[in-house]
Amino acid sequence: MSWAMKLRKKQPVFQAFLWMYAIISVYPLLWMVFYSLKNNNEIFVTNPFGFPTHFRFENYVEAWTRFSVPVYFVNSLFVSIITVIGTITLAVMFSYACARMYWRFRETARTYVIIGLFVPIQVIIIPLAILVRDFHLANTYAAIIVPYIAFNLSFSTMVFYGFFRSIPIELEESACIDGANIYQSFWRVILPIVKPAIATMVIFVFLNAWNEFTIALMLITKESLKTLPLGLLFFQGQFTTDWGAMGAAMTIASLPTVLIYIFFSRQVENALTVGSAVKG
Amino acid sequence: MKRFLGNRLAISIFIVPTLLLYTVIVFYPIVQVFFRSLFEWDGLTEGTFIFLDNYTRLFQDHIFYTSLYNGLVFAAILAVLQLGIGTILALTIANASFRGKKILRISFFIPVVLSITVVCQLWLAMYNSEYGLFNKIFEAMGLSYRQDWLTNKNTAIYAIALVNAWQFMGYQFALLLAGAKSVPEQYLEAARIDGAEGWKAHWKITIPLMSETYKYCLVLAVTGGLNAFANMFIMTGGGPGTTTYTLTYLMYRSAFRVGEFGYGSASAAILVIECLIVTLAINRLIARERITY
Repeated sequence: MSWAMKLRKKQPVFQAFLWMYAIISVYPLLWMVFYSLKNNNEIFVTNPFGFPTHFRFENYVEAWTRFSVPVYFVNSLFVSIITVIGTITLAVMFSYACARMYWRFRETARTYVIIGLFVPIQVIIIPLAILVRDFHLANTYAAIIVPYIAFNLSFSTMVFYGFFRSIPIELEESACIDGANIYQSFWRVILPIVKPAIATMVIFVFLNAWNEFTIALMLITKESLKTLPLGLLFFQGQFTTDWGAMGAAMTIASLPTVLIYIFFSRQVENALTVGSAVKG
Repeated sequence: MKRFLGNRLAISIFIVPTLLLYTVIVFYPIVQVFFRSLFEWDGLTEGTFIFLDNYTRLFQDHIFYTSLYNGLVFAAILAVLQLGIGTILALTIANASFRGKKILRISFFIPVVLSITVVCQLWLAMYNSEYGLFNKIFEAMGLSYRQDWLTNKNTAIYAIALVNAWQFMGYQFALLLAGAKSVPEQYLEAARIDGAEGWKAHWKITIPLMSETYKYCLVLAVTGGLNAFANMFIMTGGGPGTTTYTLTYLMYRSAFRVGEFGYGSASAAILVIECLIVTLAINRLIARERITY
């Protein structure tokens, strides 16, 4: 390879642009983590940009104890886990029936559920709020968990359906010949095969539920039921007084999803982009 | 086999929960939005049927036009920034060999997994007119240029759109990267033999072949912009005045603040129609023929 070609292959100008954008993308977060470890004087005057001179972990203690961060955190965790379990269970069963079993309206049923993808969720919040009130679910966990599950069904169904269609039919045939009934074959033969898809969707649904803001805002008003995205709004008033603790609370709220992403970066990217291949 | 996979009871057990939940929580409310937009309704009583009066009122409401305009501005900013910068990031990573690609990918993508509240609060801190990062940077450069973008009615909507563009850039990048990788290597090789190199080859070969990906990304960016709500709710509360309202904000205020559920539903119905039109238009304009390799 000639010198000029090598240079072209490396694209120095574009590479520089990429590194610059990486800084734009990450530095605000570093800045947040930095100031979560500083006191106001350091943030505002002596050292606004750089690494903290002295780790003030008391900000984290402050955030954790004085504001209800633990309550929000546990709520978020609970809501997200139940949403994941509910969504995956329902979507796997439904898409299996649509993809493999024989019944008359299966194509219609599938299309009907997939239409949900084209509806912006916040649009239906008014009727939803009325429904939640009429079912006496207002200010319970169910008020947000049930809608979260319902909203995630369309997408999960679409993804699982694609997976089920790619499994050879011989698997069920042999299970049938071996005398298994439909439930056993579903549980023991089919589910283990779609494990990768389930793992992907677990991540996808978890991130969605953990970060959801709009529905929670409109359907939850009780302090003890608030999830993190909602609870953190509470700090808005205190902003000027205690940046350090605010930064600490924000860092705590971001930790779970960032850790999930760092450890499973490929899977998370796949999970979030899986729709483009099917939906496009 | 037919009996095995045609087990009526099993089919019902598998499909009924999903169909029921979806119908009650997603489908029925969509119908309700359109139906209730024809009522004057406070959410408590039965309401009175007023046919299209909510819409007539909406078309005379200046906040409605502000909302419509802001949605379009938001969508345009997302589309231009995310698809523009996203393309450069994705194509450079896809076809070049250099160190640090993994770090770059992770850096681009990390903001995507954050909660919108954290991102908005963080940018509030960055935009802060006294202690914010931007103003500190100006200060460090010796400029006495102090700005409060969010309380300035001319800049607020752009400042908010920038936050959303920043947060989801990595998402568009990942989509475009996946699209670029699915373009077979031979096409670029052929272009190279014909004398088209680097970005010229991308412009002529890779990007046109990625039209399906671009279509999807554009729909995401545009509908994302039209649906914007959380960003303004957290960062400006729709203000200053009503200058950063969007249709969802109008719906939220009408229903949950003023108690006009019918009027709010009309605003939501317009949003659904708007998103539908835009999605159909994009699908019409780009890639009428599906490309198969």
